[in-house]
Amino acid sequence: MRARRERRWPYGVAAALLLLVLIVAGLSAPEFVSSPTALSGQAVGPFASPPFGTDERGIPLYEYALQGARIVAFPAAVAGAVVMMLATLAGLVRCGNLPWLDTGLQAAGEIVGALPRMVVVLVVALLLGYDQKGLLPIAVVWALLAAPAAMDEAAASAGRLGGTRFVEALRAHGFSAFRTYFIHVVWKNLRPVIVRQGAEVMMQVVFLEIALSYLALQRSTQSFTHTENLYSWATLLYQGYSWMLFVFQPIVKVAAGESEWAVWADAVWVNMTTSELDGPGVQSVLVGFVLVASVAATAQLARAAARAR
Amino acid sequence: MKWWMRPLVRLIAAILLPLVVPALITGALWALPGDPASIICPPETCDGTEALAERFNLHRGPVFFYMQWLLAAMSLDFGRSWTLMAGTPVYEEMVSAVPMTGALVVLALVPLLTGTVTAALGWLPRFLDGIWQFFGLIPAVILALFAAAYVEISFGVTFGDWRPTAWRLVLGALVLALADGTLAGAIVGTRSVFEEEVKQRYIQVAILRGESTLSNAIPNVLPGLIGQMRGRLLTVLSGAVVVEVILKIPGLGGLLWDGTLSQDYGIVLAAAFAFSAFSGALMFVQAIAEIAIALYVRRSPAGVGEST
Amino acid sequence: MSRARHMLTAIGVCGSLMLLAGNSVSFYEEALPTTMNPLFSRGMVDKRTHELIFDRLFFRSAITNELKSNLVSKWQKVDNGKKIKVYLKDGIKWHDGKSFGPKDVCFTVDAMLNPKTPSPVAKTFRETLVGCEAFPKERSAVIEFVKPYHNPRERVSFSILPVHAFDSTAVSPDLDFSSRPVGTGPMKGSKGRQAVTFTAYPNGHHNPKISDMQSQEGGDPFVQVRTLLTGGVHGVVAVAPQHRPDVRASDDVALKSYDLRSWWYIALNTNKGALVRREVRQAIDYTIDRLQLRELTIGVKPDDPNSPCEFVSGPFVGSSPYYNRAIKPRPKKDAAKAAALMAQAGATEQAGRWILDGEPITLRIGMNAPLDSEAKDLLNQIGNQLQEGGFDRQVFKVSNDEWVRLAVTGRLSDQYDALIGKWSFGVVEEVNPMFHTRTAEGKGVLNIFNYSDPEVDTILGQYDAAKTDTEAQDAYHELHAYLAEELPYIFLWKLDTKSAWRNEVRNNTISPFYYFTEFDSWRL
Repeated sequence: MRARRERRWPYGVAAALLLLVLIVAGLSAPEFVSSPTALSGQAVGPFASPPFGTDERGIPLYEYALQGARIVAFPAAVAGAVVMMLATLAGLVRCGNLPWLDTGLQAAGEIVGALPRMVVVLVVALLLGYDQKGLLPIAVVWALLAAPAAMDEAAASAGRLGGTRFVEALRAHGFSAFRTYFIHVVWKNLRPVIVRQGAEVMMQVVFLEIALSYLALQRSTQSFTHTENLYSWATLLYQGYSWMLFVFQPIVKVAAGESEWAVWADAVWVNMTTSELDGPGVQSVLVGFVLVASVAATAQLARAAARAR
Repeated sequence: MKWWMRPLVRLIAAILLPLVVPALITGALWALPGDPASIICPPETCDGTEALAERFNLHRGPVFFYMQWLLAAMSLDFGRSWTLMAGTPVYEEMVSAVPMTGALVVLALVPLLTGTVTAALGWLPRFLDGIWQFFGLIPAVILALFAAAYVEISFGVTFGDWRPTAWRLVLGALVLALADGTLAGAIVGTRSVFEEEVKQRYIQVAILRGESTLSNAIPNVLPGLIGQMRGRLLTVLSGAVVVEVILKIPGLGGLLWDGTLSQDYGIVLAAAFAFSAFSGALMFVQAIAEIAIALYVRRSPAGVGEST
Repeated sequence: MSRARHMLTAIGVCGSLMLLAGNSVSFYEEALPTTMNPLFSRGMVDKRTHELIFDRLFFRSAITNELKSNLVSKWQKVDNGKKIKVYLKDGIKWHDGKSFGPKDVCFTVDAMLNPKTPSPVAKTFRETLVGCEAFPKERSAVIEFVKPYHNPRERVSFSILPVHAFDSTAVSPDLDFSSRPVGTGPMKGSKGRQAVTFTAYPNGHHNPKISDMQSQEGGDPFVQVRTLLTGGVHGVVAVAPQHRPDVRASDDVALKSYDLRSWWYIALNTNKGALVRREVRQAIDYTIDRLQLRELTIGVKPDDPNSPCEFVSGPFVGSSPYYNRAIKPRPKKDAAKAAALMAQAGATEQAGRWILDGEPITLRIGMNAPLDSEAKDLLNQIGNQLQEGGFDRQVFKVSNDEWVRLAVTGRLSDQYDALIGKWSFGVVEEVNPMFHTRTAEGKGVLNIFNYSDPEVDTILGQYDAAKTDTEAQDAYHELHAYLAEELPYIFLWKLDTKSAWRNEVRNNTISPFYYFTEFDSWRL
C-alpha cells in the first residue's frame, strides 16, 4: 500500500506544476503583444528567436502562448471548481439521508445533462454584450452542463460505499460529522471521481476556447471568448494551418507514389532550421500542439494522482 | 427511489426539452437591447421595420412570438431566415442540413458501436487502449484541422464532385468518434461495466448453471450502457458544430454556428429545436428501454417451478 | 524561394489541373452574398453577385466609360431632365422565361418608392425619384425625378426586378426571391449555404460563353492563393497584397486590377469623450505613422516604387477628380506636433499617458473584421501606435454582418470612439451619405458616428445642387480641405484591389466596382 501511494505523488506534483505554469503564464501575460518596429524578425525559427521563434509579423510566439494562458487559466479553474463542488455535493447528499434532495438533484441533472451543450453555449454567447465577451460565463455554463455527469458518478460512488449506512457506521464509531463527511467520504473515497471530473472539465474548457476562437478566426469575426487585444492559442493553430497545407500537399503526393518521403522530410527540415522560414507557421503549429498537449497532460496527471487506492 | 422514477423523469424531460430550448432563445432575443425587428431592418437605414416586425410575429412580445413559432413548428414551418439566407424558408435549410449531420452521426456511430460490441465481447485487446486514449486526448479542433487540410489540398473547389463531400463526412465522423475520448470511453467504459458485472454473484451462479455470462449480464448492464451511449451521442452532436464548420460540411452544426454569428434567430431557433429534439428523442428511447428492461427483469423467470 | 515552394509548384501544376475540366468556372469570393435581391444589397460581394444575375437600367462601360444599357434601345430627356423616357429592347426574357417589359421598370421604381419596402438601397433612390409611368404598347417607360438632372441616366442605374415575381410593391427581404432570384442578367443564380451557383442563360441581349460558375467564401488568403496556384480554383476576387508576389511569379495565373476606388479610414466619434475636441483628433492624426503602419500590416516597404497602397488626405482616391491635391497626406508621425495639440486641448502628460479632465484618454476602437485579411493585424498596430502616443486603447473586431447592420447605420456610436473601415465607390464617388447630418428624409444614411457640422452640410448641399461637373468638383475640393482639418475621419490610404485568374479563363475584363458587367465576353 505504501509503495503504491509513493508512486502516485510524482503525478500530483507534475500536475500541480503544470497547472502552476499555466496560471503563472496567464498572470504574466502582456496586455498587448509586442509591436514589431522592424520587419527583420519575421517568421524566424526557435533557434534565431528563442524560445519559440516569431510569427510572420515578427511577434514572438511565446507572447501568444502567455496571452492564451491568460484567456483560459482562470475560467478553466473556475469551471473545474464548480464541477468539483457540485460533484462533492451530490456525493454528500447520497450519504446524508436526504432522499428528497437526492431525487431533486437527479431530476435536475437529467434535464440539464440532456441540454445540447454547444447550443446552450452559443445562446449564451449571443447574449453577451461587447463588454461581457469573455470565457468565464461560457466556462461556467459549460461546467453546469457537465456537472450532472460528474454528480451522477460521485453519487454512484457514494452509493457503492454504502451511502447513509456508511455514514451511520462511522458515526457509531464516534467520528465527528466533519471527519465522517469530509475526510472519509470526500477525501478518502470520492476524491478520485471529483478530481478526475474537475480536471476533465478544465481541459474541456480550454479545448472549447480553442475551438470557439478558431471558428471565429476562420469566419473573420471576433471571438466570444476574449477581447481582440488578446490572442488565443487558436491563433497559433490558425497560423499553422497554412503550414499544414504546405506539408500535406507533398504527403498526399508521397502517399500517391508521386514523390518520395526523403524529398518531403528534407523540405520540412529546411523550414525548421533556416531563420527565414518559407512555409509560415511551422513553429506556430508546433507550439500550439505542445500547449494543447500540456493541458491534456495536466488533466491526465491529476487523474493519475487522485486515482483510487 | 422507486425504479420507475428515473425513466419517468427522463420521459418528462424528453418531452419538455424541445419546448424549453426555443423558449430560452426567445427570452434571449428579447433580453438583448433594442427591438428584435431592427436586427433585420435597422430603422436608421430602412423604413418598414414595423411591417417587418408584424410579418415575423415580433410585434406582440415574446410570448406571442414563441407561441406562433411553436404552432408553426408543429407543422414543420420554421419561418424564413432573417439574415443568413434571407428569404429562404428555414425548413428548406433544415432539410438539406439534417441529413448531413445525420450522416455524420451515423458514420461516427460505426466505430463507436464496433468498439462497444467488441469490448463487451472481450475481443479488443487491452493493450490497444492506449491508442484510443491518446486520440481521445486530442481536441476535435486539431483532428478536424488535419482532415480539412487533406480535403482542401486534394480537391480544392470542385463542381458536382461527390468525393470531397464524402471525404469530409467520413473524416468528420472519424474525428467525432476519436476526439474528446468518445471512442476510448466506449471501449474502456463498456469493458469496465462488464468486468464489474461478471464479478457479481448471480453471474457466477449462472456460470455454474451452465448459462452464458452475456445473456445474464446484458439485461442488468444495458440501462447503464444505453445511458453511456446517449452521453456519447450528445458529445458527438455537440462536437458536430466544430467539425462541420472546419470541414465545411453543410450540416446542422454549421447552420447553428452561422445563424449565431449573423444573429439569424429564425435559423438559430430551428437548429436549436432540432438539436434538442434529437437529444429529447435519445432520452425518450433510453427511458422506454429502461422501462422495458425493468419489466423484463421483474417478470417471473420462465421455467421457474416447472422442473429443477 | 526554398525547395519546398519549387516542389509545391511543380506538384500543383501537374497534379491539379485535372480539376479544371469542362466549361465550369469556380472562384473564391470574399464572402457569400447576404442576399440575392439587389434591393437589399449590403456590400461589394452582393453587388458583384447581383451584376451577374440582373441588368441595371444603365451602367458605365468598363472599356469606354460611357453610360450604356443592355435593356434600353434608346432614351430621351423629358421636361429638361425632370423625366427620362426609356424605350426597351425586344426579345428580352426573364430567367423564368417570361417577357421583360416596361411594367417591370415601373414596378422596380414603385417598389423602391413604397415606404413598406425596407430597403437601404431604395432609401437612396427615394431622394431622387418621384414615380414611373409605363407605356406597354410602345415598350417604353417614363421615370420622373424630384428635380431636373443634367445627366438623368446616372440616376437610374438600379437593377430591374420582375413584376410577376412579387405580389405587391412592398418588397420584403424575407421572400423566396432573396435566395432564388429571377433576373435578366447573363447568369441565373441561386444561393446555397456553402456556395452560389450560376448557370448561363442565353438571352436576346446576353450570350454568356461560360456555362456554369460557382463562387465560394474564400477564407484564409494564403489557402486561397495556394488553391489557385495549384489549380483547385479558377479565380480569386481579392488577393491580399502580401500574396501578390506568389501570384505574379506564376506563369499560369494572371494578376488583374480591380478598380474599386476604396479608401481606408478611422472614423472618430466627434460626439463622445475627448474626441469632441478637434485638437485631440488632430493629435491622433499626428500620432499615426502611416508609413510604418503600411509596412507592418500590408508589407509595403517605404521605398517601394510600385506600392499598391497610396496615402490619402481626404475622402477620395488620388485619381479622383474630387481629390484636392493641395491637401497633402501625412505619411509619418509627428510626436512634437501631437504633443503641442494635446497641450492646446488642455491635456497633460503623466508617465507617457495623456490626462484630460483628470482622466486618462482611453479609446475604444473597433475594426471591420474582414479588413484583417488585407492588412494583417491593422487593429492592433493602430492600437500600438496610439498607446505609444499616450492614448490607452481597447480593441474590438466587428463582424462584417454587424458592420453593415450596426456600424454604418450609426448604431455603434455609443459603444466606440473610433471605427476602422473602408469605403468603396464606383465611378460616382458621392460621399454625402457618410458626412451629411443624419435626417429622417434619408440624408447621412452612412454617417457612422452621426457626425454633424452645418458647414459640411452646406458644402454637401452645394455638391447636390451642382449642375456641372466643375461645380461638383469645387464643392468636393472644399469638403476635402475642410474634413482634413476637422477630422471626423482620419484618412489612411487607398489600397489597390487585385484579382487573380488562371489563364484558362480568357477575355475576362473586370469592370470597376461591379466586376462582372462585361461578363458576356468571358470565356474558358
